[in-house]
Amino acid sequence: MNWLIVKNDFKRNKMINLALLLFMMFSSILAVSSVIMAIQTIESISGLYKIAQPPHFLQMHKGEFNQEEVEEFITHYENLTSFQISTMIDVYGENLTVAGDKDTYNLAESRLDIGMVKQNEAKDLLLNSEHEKVTLKKGEIGMPVLLKEMYGMEIGDIVILTSNDITEKFVVKEIILDSMMNSTMTSSTRILLSDEDFENLKGRIGENEYLFEAYFTDSKESLDFRTAYENAELPQNGQAVTYSMIFLLSALTDITTVFVLLLVSILLIIVSFICVKYAIMAALEEDIREIGTMKAIGIRFADIRELYLIKYRILSTIGVITGYIFALLMSKAFTKHISTTFGDTEFSPFAIILSIIVGLLVYFLLNFYCKKVLKKIKGVNVVDALVNGSGFDNKKNIVNDGLYKSKKLTANCLLGLRESIYRFSNWIIVFSSALIAVLIIMIPVNLLNTFNAPEFITYMGSSLEDILIEVDNGEKLEDGYANVKEVLENDVAVKNYYEYRRIRTKSTSAEGEYVNLHIDCGVNAGNELKYLSGNSPETRNEIAISYLNSNVFGKETGDKMILYINDTEKEFVISGIYQDVTSGGYTAKSKYDFAELEAEKHSFSVDLNDNEEIKTKADEWAEILGAGISVDPMKEFINQTLGGVEKQLRGIVYVIIILGAVLVMLITVLFLKLRLAKDLSEIATLKAIGFSEKDIKHQYMIKIGTISTFGILVGIVLTDILGESLVSAALSIANLGIKKVELISNPLIEYFVCPLLLMMLIQIVTGIIIKSIKKYNIISIINE
Amino acid sequence: MKTILEVQNLCKSFEDNQVLNNINLKVEEGEFLAIMGQSGSGKSTLLYNISGMDRPESGNVFLCGKDISKLDDEKMSEVRLDHMGFVFQHSYLLKNLSIHDNIVLPGFRSGKMPREQVNQNADILMKDTGIDSVANHDIKKVSGGQLQRAAICRALINKPEVLFGDEPTGSLNSSTTKEVMDIINDVNKDGTTVIIVTHDSKVAARADRVIFLMDGNIHAELKIGKYEDYEEKRPLREKSLNQWLEKQGF
Repeated sequence: MNWLIVKNDFKRNKMINLALLLFMMFSSILAVSSVIMAIQTIESISGLYKIAQPPHFLQMHKGEFNQEEVEEFITHYENLTSFQISTMIDVYGENLTVAGDKDTYNLAESRLDIGMVKQNEAKDLLLNSEHEKVTLKKGEIGMPVLLKEMYGMEIGDIVILTSNDITEKFVVKEIILDSMMNSTMTSSTRILLSDEDFENLKGRIGENEYLFEAYFTDSKESLDFRTAYENAELPQNGQAVTYSMIFLLSALTDITTVFVLLLVSILLIIVSFICVKYAIMAALEEDIREIGTMKAIGIRFADIRELYLIKYRILSTIGVITGYIFALLMSKAFTKHISTTFGDTEFSPFAIILSIIVGLLVYFLLNFYCKKVLKKIKGVNVVDALVNGSGFDNKKNIVNDGLYKSKKLTANCLLGLRESIYRFSNWIIVFSSALIAVLIIMIPVNLLNTFNAPEFITYMGSSLEDILIEVDNGEKLEDGYANVKEVLENDVAVKNYYEYRRIRTKSTSAEGEYVNLHIDCGVNAGNELKYLSGNSPETRNEIAISYLNSNVFGKETGDKMILYINDTEKEFVISGIYQDVTSGGYTAKSKYDFAELEAEKHSFSVDLNDNEEIKTKADEWAEILGAGISVDPMKEFINQTLGGVEKQLRGIVYVIIILGAVLVMLITVLFLKLRLAKDLSEIATLKAIGFSEKDIKHQYMIKIGTISTFGILVGIVLTDILGESLVSAALSIANLGIKKVELISNPLIEYFVCPLLLMMLIQIVTGIIIKSIKKYNIISIINE
Repeated sequence: MKTILEVQNLCKSFEDNQVLNNINLKVEEGEFLAIMGQSGSGKSTLLYNISGMDRPESGNVFLCGKDISKLDDEKMSEVRLDHMGFVFQHSYLLKNLSIHDNIVLPGFRSGKMPREQVNQNADILMKDTGIDSVANHDIKKVSGGQLQRAAICRALINKPEVLFGDEPTGSLNSSTTKEVMDIINDVNKDGTTVIIVTHDSKVAARADRVIFLMDGNIHAELKIGKYEDYEEKRPLREKSLNQWLEKQGF
């Protein structure tokens, strides 16, 4: 009997049931996709890490070192499970030319430090996409996936290495996955050579750089090890990176994607649930007389509810299962970047089990929610239901007639506005879908815009000049510095420039241990950065420290900090704390010149008289200064550093914009179909008393327009308020050295293009759907 | 007398069922016409087609000199607003609007009169029909009779030339029916042409003329004469109408 009623209901209310099914399917797709994406990211990375085994602590070093000293230290350090020193031959991009099928190009444009290595024995392995250790023969080369993505190189391309009058040709045999240096944010990348080629080239080309790689029983040991290592004055002319930094820098792109997808999913699930409630209420209102009759003949509430629940159980089962299948099919597209960067991995049983659990959770949540909505049947009054055909509107009816005092607004405007204001809850779906569409679109767009904006460099601990010149080529450091200085002094194109020396000193950490502190000093040091608290150092006894250093040293703005400089102590006052992602986020800025210490690195930020000249000047100086000194237009520096994240995010943003637009249109269509079905009698009445179809269309346009505009406005406000908090929270969790991000929005897009686009889409869809009232016959509706 | 409505060769069918069959009819200005007939005779269909609520399959309907059978939606709306009023069996007032707001709505839409005047007219109509005390009430809070009176007020707000009624007292009890019909008679007395469909001979007895529909044709017609001093002549008018209806097999 129940089944028969359900069957008839499916036949009778096709539209409402279809809408419900779609919303349920939506919820399932989104929840399952997010879970799959999150698990796949973690699984792929850990899958790669399990085989490749990146170090828990890495210290890079250029120049000579005493191997015995290092070995002595290692033997006495507890908890160390393994230690290896591998050699990397640093070459410059201009030394490498790639001849592909279509064109030949040089890698000079790449800002990445390129190192040539041979395969390690057991740890820190370079793998192929199948997660297998790559072994090469003489004449073969393995190119990193990072360069493949940047230049589009393929297996079979020829790589020509030219340096010190040596020319060698290699065939690209594998595209390799580098667990440690697979992100543009790591600033280095490794190319794999066969053992024979590597030994052949070692010492003949480039400069040797050494990778000191330590492994522990627990990767958390790495911070303690770092301090001990640095305090032992072991080789440290280069970057030091811990396991967590390696992981986060590698996965930043995908973490950002998962974050964006998760945000979108949560918002869409909220919309889906609102839609489910609306669709159920529409169905119940349509059936109000039947419900009244059932109550009148003595059928219990629980039995009536059960009748409806059967239907919703069937719908949610179909919705969740089809949603799950769609999510599985779509997840391939979402996890493409993960597969490319971290290798192909099959769905793990964990991903399957968890996604099934999430699917079931959605199913039970939907059923629980339907049950909750159906509780409204309990409050239906039999007389109201049978006589007036009403029963769910338990709110006190307050008749508001204020608008009719208007002398100027047209009748259509009055009716439209009145409904939007006084019957706002009837239109909550339009409001929330517009609001959520704005959030879905604008937060990722603003995030992308922030990554693209020149100001973002200030989050990275750099200032905002036209060109950045960095000299860090080991033994030739001071020669390089003198050369740059000479070039800048004699070039009339230079408007002004600032120079910074990076020195290394020590201070006492919050735990009372000596910890190294890298300081950039110069007259402009610390200016133009974003400060979480305080300001840039003004006097010679002030110092600004990065956010991560403030945690290490346990210092706040205004605190005193003792620095140990060649066995003497000097007291500084902390002028401010800033955000930094350079040098692992552990930096400091000072006006004091630390002349008594040797420089580790020199950098110059240069402003030109003519902004048009930036690229030409950078190329010209790079040519004059030669290899070993990087000259980058700041814009290019950002592009190359954040290029990977930006590229992936851009793709996601496009998908999200389309998703947001489709969502708004789909919800508007489904809502209007339900709304029109509900408003049939009112439309017929309006037509009967002299309102034309055009008038009724206007009224709906005004209703939808007002409500969606309101939703869009609230969405913009929430984007501005919540967007930054959400992104900052995500970045803070990532511990990259950024605690707070001010999203840089493009006002034209946020306040004009996005709202206008959404409004237009909503209005166009409304216009199309409202056309259906043409076929409404007054009499057939009235007589129903 | 001027003809306000002229129907020529009006036909209407639903699928294979011919409901109206070549109807020809003329209604004079100021006349009160009642349409009667058995269930399924086509009386409501005739009313909907001559009032422009529905479109005839063939034939012409001239209302106030305009052939409304050919008008597009926009022009038809103007006719509904400016020349006619329609009262259904149920009031069909808009939810969420007060009685007053429901009444003034067509006036506001038409724009023929300033809004102050529309509001004044509404006040007068409500007073005349005895619903002024519920003017600002929610429609769910008033009785069926009051709702129907409000529907009449709404139909009259633009001072139409013709008032159509489809069983306007069909859902009312006898005392309310009398009150509503008194109002309609008063409207007619003031010069508005009234055309109603009814199955109630007491209601039809208030009309000047009654036509009887059978199988989609005007089977018979009875001229009762102008309504005046109804109470006095009521038994006589009702008796002669009932006898006539009996002859028609009603």
